[in-house]
Amino acid sequence: MTTSTSARVGSAASAAGSTPVFAARTRGLRKVYGRTVAVDRVDLDVPEGAVLGMLGPNGSGKTTTIRMLLGLVRPTEGEVELLGKALPDGVAQALPHVGALVEGPGFHPFLTGRENLRRAAAFEPLLASGDIRQAVEDALERVGLAAAAHRRYRGYSLGMKQRLGLASALLVPRRLIVLDEPTNGLDPAGTREVRKVIADLHEAGSTVVVSSHLLSEIEATCTHVAVLHRGTVVAQGELAELLHSDSSSLLIVTPDVDDALSALRAGRISARPFAEGVRVELIGTTAPVVLETLVHAGVAVHEARRHRTGLEDLFARLTEAEESEHSLSAVDTIEEGTR
Amino acid sequence: MTALVAARAPLGRQLRSELRWILRRPRTVIGLASLCLVPILAGVGLWFATDGDGPAGPGLAAIIAGNGLVLPVFTLFLALPLLLPLVGAIWAADGLAGEAQHGTLRGLLLSPVGRIRLLAIKSFGVAIMSLVAVTLIAVVGVITGVVLFGGEGMLTLSGSTLSFGEGLGRIALTIALVTVQVWGVAAIAMAISACTEHPLVVMAATMAGVIVFAVLGLFSALDWLHPYLITSAWEGMIDVMRDPLPTEQLWRGTVVAGCYVLIGLSLAAMRLATKDN
Repeated sequence: MTTSTSARVGSAASAAGSTPVFAARTRGLRKVYGRTVAVDRVDLDVPEGAVLGMLGPNGSGKTTTIRMLLGLVRPTEGEVELLGKALPDGVAQALPHVGALVEGPGFHPFLTGRENLRRAAAFEPLLASGDIRQAVEDALERVGLAAAAHRRYRGYSLGMKQRLGLASALLVPRRLIVLDEPTNGLDPAGTREVRKVIADLHEAGSTVVVSSHLLSEIEATCTHVAVLHRGTVVAQGELAELLHSDSSSLLIVTPDVDDALSALRAGRISARPFAEGVRVELIGTTAPVVLETLVHAGVAVHEARRHRTGLEDLFARLTEAEESEHSLSAVDTIEEGTR
Repeated sequence: MTALVAARAPLGRQLRSELRWILRRPRTVIGLASLCLVPILAGVGLWFATDGDGPAGPGLAAIIAGNGLVLPVFTLFLALPLLLPLVGAIWAADGLAGEAQHGTLRGLLLSPVGRIRLLAIKSFGVAIMSLVAVTLIAVVGVITGVVLFGGEGMLTLSGSTLSFGEGLGRIALTIALVTVQVWGVAAIAMAISACTEHPLVVMAATMAGVIVFAVLGLFSALDWLHPYLITSAWEGMIDVMRDPLPTEQLWRGTVVAGCYVLIGLSLAAMRLATKDN
């Protein structure tokens, strides 16, 4: 699923031309609360049409960044551009096209789900007064809350509250949807539905920013990733590319293990045997060179594949060993590669 | 990217939504119902007090016998020092701090509603509800007063008698004067409401302020301060029951309350404009 969606985005980006268009971007974003630096030097790029996953441990600055992105919080330093409009001045132009679920759903407990949505809809600039009723019903239907719409919000389960929050973000067709931990409190079925909603939005051409601490969630739904750690972006780019550039070894399945090893060593390529063949570290060499060397030496290559790193490995490496020089430079090269 | 134009939801729709939201709140309904009890309780109390010889009490209570139209004025002045400021503070507290507490203020700002416009919508809601509360007390007061004490006209503190229509006019004037005083308190509460996420803090701070002002008003050493205290004007408002109507104190009290409205809303706007949500 990941590869197919990223391929679609890739073609969309190339069709748009050489200059990429960003639904949102930040430069040098910094937020200080008292003496605590919540977010620092955040340069986030959200390409138009992407589904960008924001990953980070608790307290890494995801929500603060999102709140600054939406003009809810004023950055101490730095700039935010939302749908091409500089904040805070562009809020009135940009925000009607942005739907958001930030820091959990916020509704009035004494109103029913439907009444809560009607109230939210009354303040939506892009909704004509005559369309409110229908827009509310559609949004309720879309998140599977139609049957519970007449019940007071007070009695909603966590999952239902979350769905209602999602519904209010979907009241109007949006160009950008920002979802902060949308699957919090949802059961597996609810999680799948959120994934479906995100996929539909992506299909319809909306840009989606979704923050989560669930790596599998991001891996399943996102085309792009930004990893935050200690208030700054330690890696960002296309998901496939990030995972790809992180994998530095090639697995070659061959029956002629000894021949392969000697051929590679003759070519000064480091390799070691593994269960079905040899494992080559791609340091100072590339996969085509390795294969060429092997084929020239008459080694039967049955299969060659990248040793794929999961998002989990990447995330662990970025957030746990972030201080070490090695990983920092690795991050830099990744970011270079994606621009 | 196509050009984006600034868009706003129609103001009328927002104001209607705000009022509907206030009226749908159970505490609004309960609160308004309780306010209706105030003139009834006051009337019944005075009715028992007028049973014996002599006046039922000092001030307005002394002229209540056979003078039912005095009851709404009496009740409003009874409620003005504490009850009505509390009512104003509750609505102001729910308007901003309460919405912030539920996370709904964020939703409104994201719609987006401009921050100044949001304050205008919220202030409108509080202003209307204060007027409704004061009017409700007066209307129930008129009915209770006429039922319990009767009255073809209104006996003033000056000894003259006004016609029934003129009496109702004085009551309407009292409603207007008292409402403006409540607005003055509520505007300050609004400024506090913009600074916190806890409605209780708003109510407590506002009530503490009202009480401290009332206490400060007792010290003659602080005479120079009294013209600036909103609470000082409240005692003088009994002038509304004199004939002919002495307007100076009433006018000054209204101007002071108007200044409080301006100051309170300006502070609230300043806070809201830069507040992180």
